[in-house]
Amino acid sequence: MTHHAPTVSFTLNGEAKTFVTEPDEKLLALLRREGYRGTKYGCGQGTCGACTVMLDGRAVYACILYAQQVEGREVRTIENVGTLDEPSEFQTELINAGAVQCGYCIPGMVMSATALMENEPTYDDEIAREYMDGNLCRCTGYEKIWVALRKVLDRREAAAAAGQKPDAHPHR
Amino acid sequence: MKLCEFIRPANLAEARDRLRELGQRGMALAGGTALHFMQAPEPVTAVDITRLGLSYIRPEGESFVIGATTPIADIQRYRAPRWAMHEVCRRISTHQIRNVSTIGGNICRVFPWADVPVVLLAMNARMVTYSGKEQEIGADDFFASQPAQRFRDGELLTAVKVPNLRMHHGFGSVKVGRNAAAFSLVTVASVLELENNNIKAARVAAGSAIPFPRRLLDVEAALVGREATAAVFQEAATKAKAAANWRGREGMSADYIQHLAEVSLIDALERAATFARTRDA
Repeated sequence: MTHHAPTVSFTLNGEAKTFVTEPDEKLLALLRREGYRGTKYGCGQGTCGACTVMLDGRAVYACILYAQQVEGREVRTIENVGTLDEPSEFQTELINAGAVQCGYCIPGMVMSATALMENEPTYDDEIAREYMDGNLCRCTGYEKIWVALRKVLDRREAAAAAGQKPDAHPHR
Repeated sequence: MKLCEFIRPANLAEARDRLRELGQRGMALAGGTALHFMQAPEPVTAVDITRLGLSYIRPEGESFVIGATTPIADIQRYRAPRWAMHEVCRRISTHQIRNVSTIGGNICRVFPWADVPVVLLAMNARMVTYSGKEQEIGADDFFASQPAQRFRDGELLTAVKVPNLRMHHGFGSVKVGRNAAAFSLVTVASVLELENNNIKAARVAAGSAIPFPRRLLDVEAALVGREATAAVFQEAATKAKAAANWRGREGMSADYIQHLAEVSLIDALERAATFARTRDA
């Protein structure tokens, strides 16, 4: 029997990390106390999507995962997708579209969109909606967020159809 | 649900032993996405069963075998001839939940809104459990009462066997919710076996709008031996009223929910018949 030590080790944004934690601590709480505050606390029950991070390449809600559940796995947060100085393609389009109101939902939206772009070969509306329907915007700014996302997806599909490689760092 | 300890057993036997030792102080943890709906008087020890090689889908004999900790998203994405489980899995919650939530978690503790038990009842699935040795339990027995009671002494679900839909068999399900990510108001599922467009066998189940998922035996009886037509489906759906105790929900009356169930049943039966006819080609 492996009794678990009060630490958890996983790859965080490409770096091997070990953190002291408690059995009951959620991944979101650990991330935020360690300074990864781009990931937001919203509903705390896996509904609103503000806490979305990627776990082994898939979007998940960090607010309902225990930190211990990610032992040995790979976690990616918004800090690894874009920065103020070097925003991702989708973040740039969100700004261009004026899609960011209070902004609280945006990191989660960006993480779900990143999962979509990295996991799916094509991006029709149905699949794009499937990836985005787990993220709520209480400012109800969905239309402009959708316009910004669709612009990025259309551009990537057009590039793929033309045989071009996508931007080397579309979302880092 | 508060945790006081988190342990990762090395194998199935160790998981079973630890859960047996812990009793009510322990809990098998897979995705854990529904834990905030559960309460325990004292913090519990989580026994992580997601690293025991129980995440897979594979054809085996006359069934598809789905490992107990296979995420719903994997079932949604899996494709094989005459595979139908993806149709309901794509409609469960959001993609963030589906990436973590497992088939075992969905059926070992059945919440009123659960969709997967309804589908497995219609499919006549078999559940494989481990308690030192493996045992298979048919869906009718497994869902006869809350399955969580079965797992109190360290027994674990290891796999779900979903029978292949053979020639002339068809599956149809309908889930009705307020929006794409909402819990079901009504979930129904059916499997029909057709012979020259006559219904040779039928399994019909419902959930969410009734206290616990169950087969609708009166509806099944109204189908078997009849021709697979819209009129027969409509007539059979009316038997739903007597077949279950429909409950009003979210401001909707019991009568409305029952009507919703009947309409959903007709759609599910049409889909099952179309599946049986068109996928035989």
